[in-house]
Amino acid sequence: MRDGLQATALSVASMFSDGVGKLNRIHRLVPWLVVFVLLLPVPQLVTIGLSDYYVYLINKICIFILLTVGLNIVKGFCGQVTVGHVGLYAIGAVSSTLLSIHLGLSFWVSFPLGVLLAGLAGIVVGLPSVRLEGAYLALATLRLGESVRIMIAVTPFLGSSTGLMLIPSPEIMGFVFDSFQSYYYLVMTAALVGLYLSFSLLRSATGRAFMAIREDVIAAGVHGIDVPRHKLLAFVISALYAGAAGALFAHMPPGYIHHNNFIIIEMVTLLLMVVLGGIGHIWGGVIGAIVVTVIYDQTLEYYFCQPLMFGLSMVLLVMFMPQGIGGVIDRSISTRRFIALRQRREAAEGQDHGAA
Amino acid sequence: MALLETRQLSKNFGGLRAIADLDISVETGSIHGLIGPNGSGKSTFFNLVTGIYWAERGSTVIFGGRDITSLPSHRIGAMGIARTFQLLRLFQEMSVLENVMVGHHMHVPYGLFTTILNSGHVERRDAVIREEMMDLLSFIGLADYADMPASELSGGQRRLLSLGRAMAMKPRLLMLDEPAAGLSPVNVDRLLDIIMRLKDRYGLTILIVEHILKVVMETCSTVTVLDYGRKIGEGTPATVKDDPAVIEACLGQEMNDDEVRAMLHEGASSGR
Ligand SMILES: Nc1ncnc2c1ncn2[C@@H]1O[C@H](COP(=O)(O)OP(=O)(O)OP(=O)(O)O)[C@@H](O)[C@H]1O
Ligand SMILES: [Mg+2]
Repeated sequence: MRDGLQATALSVASMFSDGVGKLNRIHRLVPWLVVFVLLLPVPQLVTIGLSDYYVYLINKICIFILLTVGLNIVKGFCGQVTVGHVGLYAIGAVSSTLLSIHLGLSFWVSFPLGVLLAGLAGIVVGLPSVRLEGAYLALATLRLGESVRIMIAVTPFLGSSTGLMLIPSPEIMGFVFDSFQSYYYLVMTAALVGLYLSFSLLRSATGRAFMAIREDVIAAGVHGIDVPRHKLLAFVISALYAGAAGALFAHMPPGYIHHNNFIIIEMVTLLLMVVLGGIGHIWGGVIGAIVVTVIYDQTLEYYFCQPLMFGLSMVLLVMFMPQGIGGVIDRSISTRRFIALRQRREAAEGQDHGAA
Repeated sequence: MALLETRQLSKNFGGLRAIADLDISVETGSIHGLIGPNGSGKSTFFNLVTGIYWAERGSTVIFGGRDITSLPSHRIGAMGIARTFQLLRLFQEMSVLENVMVGHHMHVPYGLFTTILNSGHVERRDAVIREEMMDLLSFIGLADYADMPASELSGGQRRLLSLGRAMAMKPRLLMLDEPAAGLSPVNVDRLLDIIMRLKDRYGLTILIVEHILKVVMETCSTVTVLDYGRKIGEGTPATVKDDPAVIEACLGQEMNDDEVRAMLHEGASSGR
């Protein structure tokens, strides 16, 4: 009896000491699984009071979340300016579409291939970052992004003015993701996985290297960080996110993409999400994606002045709240902590005085 | 034996010869001083050795018997050269602990794939690194500030942090660019004490640029004097101090330590 207990205790202890790999991982995943489960009934809840269209909107938010995460990695953490992100999004969308339409590949093959192609394109977009900085880098990436769109717009094979339609819906074991509601499970899962992976990455040495490059390139290099490699890595990772977002967008019902989906205005919208949420705050990007998508949707009837409105709010944001929502929350937490610390210290001093 | 050796090291900025045919040899285990008036090329020398500037053709830098002249910064760092900067170049928005963890970057025992596929492993390894870095922070007296952004430290604490960040690289050669600039006399002594203890603990070789003569006189075994990018004197602190050419170049006229320090204080505070 005693021995049995001891053995159990020992095995539990060893689980905590070195067989912990698995246990730990499960442990870490628990909050994510909880969120996943909580998010599952969202389309049902939404359609109680609202139309199916709002599920579509939520799907778009999930896709935008993937985009903001990617953009945040390269811009917020590695400090590299890029305006070519929509180009990569387009590459993911178009390549996955073409692979599934012309080669008849299933979504589960065309999707990773599309993501991979976007990642390769990310190397091209990232290469200028090795030499250029700031505005010049912005111009270079802008040109690359726009040239992707123009190529799509003028090549019939890539859709040109009619766009690509009848893009097949993903299917798994007879279950077809061909409605907004069913597609939601796909994009929501993708957004959560994307968020989870970004946290793993950014908490690691790679994340610290990115931030060091953002803070001071020269000091980063001197401390043993291969700067060009890490810049490229950041671009490639963000391109993978953009490619995933693009491919998911393409296969979403109604299965139609057009080069207008990839215009520079989309990039402004995306930047607005990231800036509003707070550059360098992954969760901020999530908030930004939700807020901006909802505002965008509510102002659709004023479509003619939307670009102006979004551009203007961007300028105002940068001027008056450059740290974004995430930054404001961060600041208020640290301020509160600081005040608490000081109060505690003052209280302690007060006691000293009382004693004296 | 020389740990670091330069031969015919030169650097031009446009028409300006910032470093001209400089031969310097830093002995293993020594503390080597590099002094000279403002603009004489001391920081440029550091930047050349650590791969921040390209040296002119014909220059050679040898470290530990290997030619490192055209290596990029991070490779030079990986070979065992750490340095601090005159203007510190801390990672301002990162915490004190994160700053030294970046210094430790090249010793991190996991790669990108592990990072993505096994974050549990990464977390455990990072916990070990964090502990080791906290030790280092206690050693330099910054443990209490571990979670504070580097930008919120005082001037003196920042200097210490830049030293700690360099030490986290576990270097063989530590190059310090005016580590004591702007410190109060008490803190200069404290810093010297820390540097000497680090040297003994890790068996470092140190190359130090310093205007505060006391630092140079008390710590260095050899001193090289630069003027207009050329070597104008070399030897023990005592011999260099009495060399007329050095006095002429460095001081122009006789100045006592306090005057020199006062002058440099101004320079340091306006630089920041
Ligand atoms: N990036 C640069 N571009 C052009 N000129 C430079 C550059 N860096 C340094 N110089 C010039 O090279 C010369 C040497 O500068 P350096 O910074 O090496 O001097 P220093 O000895 O470190 O001086 P101080 O004691 O003031 O720090 C100066 O004349 C300076 O103007
Ligand atoms: Mg200097």
